[in-house]
Amino acid sequence: MGDLKNKSKSLRDIALKRLLNNYLALVGFVIVIIFFVFAIFGTILAPYDFLSQNIDRALEGPSKDYILGTDPMGRDVFSRMVFGARTAAIVAFTTTIISLILGVFIGTIAGFSGGKIDAFLMWITDITMSVPGLLLAILINATIKPPISSLFDALYQSTENTIFLNTYMIDFVIVFGAIALISWPSYARIVRGQILSVKQQIYVEAAVSMGANLTHLMKRHLIPNSIGPVVVAVTQGIGGAILLESSLSFLGVGVQPPNASWGSMLSDSLTLWRSFPHLMIVPAITIGIIQIAFIFLGDGINDALNPKQTRR
Amino acid sequence: MLNFIFIRIIRWSTGLLLVLLVSYAMMFYGGGDPIKQMFLDELGNTQYLDQTMIDSERDKFGLNDPFIIQFKRYIFNVLQGDWGTSFRSQRPVLEMIKPRLWISMQLGFAATIVMAILGIPLGIIASLNHNKWLDLSIIGTIITLNAIPVFVTGPILLLFFVLVVPIMNVPYGWDGILNTQVILPIAVIVISTIPIILRQTRASMLEIMNEDYVRTARAKGLSEKKVILKHILKPALTPVITSLGLVMITLVNGALFVELIFNIPGFGKMSIDAIWDVDHPLIMSTVLVGTLIVMFSNLVVDIIYFFLDPRIADG
Repeated sequence: MGDLKNKSKSLRDIALKRLLNNYLALVGFVIVIIFFVFAIFGTILAPYDFLSQNIDRALEGPSKDYILGTDPMGRDVFSRMVFGARTAAIVAFTTTIISLILGVFIGTIAGFSGGKIDAFLMWITDITMSVPGLLLAILINATIKPPISSLFDALYQSTENTIFLNTYMIDFVIVFGAIALISWPSYARIVRGQILSVKQQIYVEAAVSMGANLTHLMKRHLIPNSIGPVVVAVTQGIGGAILLESSLSFLGVGVQPPNASWGSMLSDSLTLWRSFPHLMIVPAITIGIIQIAFIFLGDGINDALNPKQTRR
Repeated sequence: MLNFIFIRIIRWSTGLLLVLLVSYAMMFYGGGDPIKQMFLDELGNTQYLDQTMIDSERDKFGLNDPFIIQFKRYIFNVLQGDWGTSFRSQRPVLEMIKPRLWISMQLGFAATIVMAILGIPLGIIASLNHNKWLDLSIIGTIITLNAIPVFVTGPILLLFFVLVVPIMNVPYGWDGILNTQVILPIAVIVISTIPIILRQTRASMLEIMNEDYVRTARAKGLSEKKVILKHILKPALTPVITSLGLVMITLVNGALFVELIFNIPGFGKMSIDAIWDVDHPLIMSTVLVGTLIVMFSNLVVDIIYFFLDPRIADG
């Protein structure tokens, strides 16, 4: 009490300190960092290229040469996992950013304008949420592929840029679209709820009565006071997007072979697991650990930002 | 009250119409040509494909009409109980869906019962031991289970029960609900949905426990058993009903994976097959049924809540 130094600390410092004192969150944080390190520096860390085959040594268990064994085509499972991490990270980051922008945009308009516009936007949000997400994602995935492919073809014809011939990119664009279109509603709801509750606070009323304009209100009151739940939602959203990407690839509509994805590695192993369990165990356990890490980190950030709210 | 229900029904049915419009438009403008796909699968290559043949076949299904006309015709037919004919199997879609949906509903229903029987008491036990080791271990297990996706728990359980503890034959396929094959699929669904109901039960129990009238009940000397059963349990369990909508979404989503992993010929497997076959009427029907299930459960939750909570007058 009375420690002036402590008082002068910013919200960010205090939240960071609380986060670092939470062991579970710290474990989650470390795992997430390791995941991103593998995703970014995969080409250096992976012992083999994820496409290079060694047919003589196909379907081997873990050994000195291949730490996690090899798959039916003689490719190193560990290297494929590393490249799967890259796929997951790219998809997770991009889709979270797209759906966050969409969600914040719609949520802010709804929260600010109220009345009929609010009712209409929330109706759209409710409807999007009530379509079973995966079914919608698969449908989007299956239907936007031909137009996107022809668009890329046209782009190649007009620009002669070989980047548009890359099917890897088409897959990614489609998966981005599908996942972003089903994950924006939760962000929109959170942002709208935050804005509605902060808007009614007395300090906002006081600021308005003293003649504060909209930019000042946004900068000083609305954004700082409503950012907490959004940060938590983004942390969990990245985990959710990784999950969705592997779900889509598991169902065969996501990132297409020969590109590596954890989901497709898991579904490929469905016919082989009785004889070669390592093919199933490795991706299954990795997906589980990553998901748990993101949940721990999200809960930790939540506790750090909202200390008043006891966890229930 | 009737007004309230009427508004809700209008809200959800216009929503359903919008969903159908958007998915029909996506297929009309985006999806591959279903007839071409059908011929391709039959012939194996494009060499013998004849455009006039494709066109006449398209005419038979009315696929050459403008979008609005096609969509109008589709909606009127659906309202009259004719959900179209599958391009692929040439059978009425409604006839195809019924047995598949019945299988999935049996699975989902059994899983919901198991989930409620396990989840609600566990939530109550956790809340009564708030912040003690029992509570923490239940919640810890649940958070961990919640984090692991269905398509991971499924294969791991398969591996475990067939290779490590070989007490089961390969639990594949479908032989009716009264069969040992359904144990693992139901277990997987329960694992993925139980966290929703358990957390909700625990949270609302904890909330009610701190209410003033509970303290009054204790203060006037009621036994602990009576306080819990009469004063806490009843109001605490009503919000649990609201999580039904969430459970339904998880069930429909989870069915896709569970049926794929365990090779069950249910609704989820059919919808994936339909999308791979570019079978428009079947895809539309799976979207229709999937959305209808979720929206209907939302509507039911709204109406139940209206009766339970008089504060929601005209939402």
